[in-house]
Amino acid sequence: MDELELLKKDWKKEGNAYPKLSYNDIYKMILKRSSSIVKWIFIISLLEFVFWLILSFVLKDTKSMDRYNQYDADYVIIPLTILGYIILAYFFFMFFRNYRNITVTDSAKKLMESILKTRQTVKQYVAFNLLYLIAAVVVVLCVEFKQDQQLINLAQTAAASGETFKFYTIFTLTVIAFLVVVILILLFFYWLVYGILLRRLNKNYSELKKLDL
Amino acid sequence: MSESLEHSFVEQLETNQNIVHKVCRLYTNNQDAHNDLFQEITIQLWKAYPKFRGDSKFSTWMYRVALNTAITLYRKKKRRINTQEFDSIEFKIKAEEYDDTEEQQLKLLYRAVKELNDIEKALVFLYLEDKNYREISETMGISEVNARVKMNRIKTKLKTILNP
Repeated sequence: MDELELLKKDWKKEGNAYPKLSYNDIYKMILKRSSSIVKWIFIISLLEFVFWLILSFVLKDTKSMDRYNQYDADYVIIPLTILGYIILAYFFFMFFRNYRNITVTDSAKKLMESILKTRQTVKQYVAFNLLYLIAAVVVVLCVEFKQDQQLINLAQTAAASGETFKFYTIFTLTVIAFLVVVILILLFFYWLVYGILLRRLNKNYSELKKLDL
Repeated sequence: MSESLEHSFVEQLETNQNIVHKVCRLYTNNQDAHNDLFQEITIQLWKAYPKFRGDSKFSTWMYRVALNTAITLYRKKKRRINTQEFDSIEFKIKAEEYDDTEEQQLKLLYRAVKELNDIEKALVFLYLEDKNYREISETMGISEVNARVKMNRIKTKLKTILNP
């Protein structure tokens, strides 16, 4: 006999001793909270949005930004800020829309796709923020080089001693190193959190996709 | 949610609880994990219940939610004590005193099924529950042909695990 047929015969025996939960046992269960990965993804994603929002506020209140605000840079800062908020609103809307589309009664593959799509939105938002961070740093530096007297003096001193190239190279490398460190820390954090949370889902999803190739 | 909704849900789940127990049996290795998964499946069923329209049987509807929870939503907790010990007992029997009685073979079969991956287990589960390939393909979200092909591969895989 086919192995599975043998198993099926046994599987259907009522004698299989499963615990018999009472009405009250089950009733108590529905009052408890879920600890599903969707719930965790939701919480972590919200924290990500909050993190970037807080970061933007914190940066605005620092002393160097106070100094920065004295410059004539509103023509760059205001459009950048507005653009930032519009994009935040867009991603937030997309995130909620995708989150609401997660339905446990969908097929296994569809459910996994909906969860991954929700994650995708947050991932794109994070990618946007990293690009935004880089763009902001570049813009801020350009304005500083034009208007910050301290920096202009430094550049002029370097030029006077014929070290313009060295000055700009060190400056650029320092900025790039700073950005790389920040980005690496963030990526490590994501790898840690989502690696743990989504490892099984990714594995099962690729297994299902493989079946339909 | 209203009391009558709660009542009808709990009553139906109480009657059909074996389906959930069977899923838990396939996807967990100890009683604690079994209870955890049962709890999560119950919560997911309850959350989805208001949208259950009754156009399919309650039990049929349960299969999807239970499997989806086991495969995708459930977050395994990090407390696995004695899990492997239980499994290795049967391994020993296999290596040392294998005999061809039906009971012995069943034990080995259950062990072999436990070695399958999450998706394969789901297919086996639906097959054991007498679901046809159309239902299996709809539940998993793959084509009927591929469900059939995969099922044949699983059968071969089980044979290999049993007779290496």
